[in-house]
Amino acid sequence: MTVLILTCEQDVTADMVVAQLHKRGVPLVRFDPGDLPGEGALSAEYVRGEFRGYLSMGGRVVSMDGLRSVWVRRPSEPAAHAPEPSAWLSAESGQALYGMLECTQVPWMNDPSAAAKARLKPWQLRLAHQSGFPVPATVITTYPRVARQFADQYRHVVVKVVSGKPPSEPPMALPTTLVPPDADFSDVAAAPTLLQRYIAKTADIRLTSVGNESFAARKVAEPGQVDGRYGDTGHTWRPVDVPGRVARAVAQYRKFSGLAYGAFDFAEDSEGTWWFLECNQGGQFGFVELETEQPIADAVAAWLSAPGE
Amino acid sequence: MKPFAWNYARPAELAPVIDQYAYDSTLQLNVLPDGRPAIMDRVLLAAVGTTTSTAGSATHFDD
Repeated sequence: MTVLILTCEQDVTADMVVAQLHKRGVPLVRFDPGDLPGEGALSAEYVRGEFRGYLSMGGRVVSMDGLRSVWVRRPSEPAAHAPEPSAWLSAESGQALYGMLECTQVPWMNDPSAAAKARLKPWQLRLAHQSGFPVPATVITTYPRVARQFADQYRHVVVKVVSGKPPSEPPMALPTTLVPPDADFSDVAAAPTLLQRYIAKTADIRLTSVGNESFAARKVAEPGQVDGRYGDTGHTWRPVDVPGRVARAVAQYRKFSGLAYGAFDFAEDSEGTWWFLECNQGGQFGFVELETEQPIADAVAAWLSAPGE
Repeated sequence: MKPFAWNYARPAELAPVIDQYAYDSTLQLNVLPDGRPAIMDRVLLAAVGTTTSTAGSATHFDD
């Protein structure tokens, strides 16, 4: 039985899991949807109630009834590498590929419908609250007046993007940023804007959830640092124990969301409380494993090898 | 009028050009010029930042 990994060639984080699967002797096929059609090929038949499907890449062929699990990592847009790419070709290729894979009963990390829902930050915040995490007060609004009132009420607020996706034209980075007290909120009318109460953090926490396992790491924050992804502080990630309350909330979140994998970000305050910031259903883990030596790739490989056990 | 969040944007960093390793379709992972898997060189991976939480930002929003 074969593990199918949907990701691009440049994804060295996937390499970490591929190496673990090799160690375990588990067959795998690494397939980039961007190579379909072309180097990647598929065929699916729906005849007299029967379904048969095949996928091939680089000389390897995998039958749909020979699949063990599917890992969605960093796949390119379907048909992205075609000689004449187009939105139409991407749509056709995506329908054929993901539709065929959905016909199987194998477990996904993560199931596409669960992943799509988990990307919705407003839904994340609600689910996090219901799961038992402390969540900083947040508003998402297109009303400048509401934004102003929120900022007045909480005094120190940050602005962050709702989708997490940076603008591409022109390419920009949008780190989470502290809003100055004299900010003019009239531009809030131009796009839904997410404001959140600023948590004066002592550390960033990254908790990687793989199946039933959790790997938490902590990195000391500089005073006043807002977005831990930007700016090198000289501190490194260190393993940290997961408080019982957080562990229970993670289990609830996992149950309600249907996610097999999730990378949780928290801000730890001076009292040691872990404030939920977000859960990235496809979040990176290589940087944590490199610094902490926590066996996250091995846990992913173990789940893909024996999903659900 | 531009989106409020754009007032706090900064120029995107260019993705590093990575030529220290290349994909090997037989092994199904990236390898160094000497044939070893790229993941064996932890210093290199940390330096090129390909596994970090901002690595996917240009093309993916789940970091």
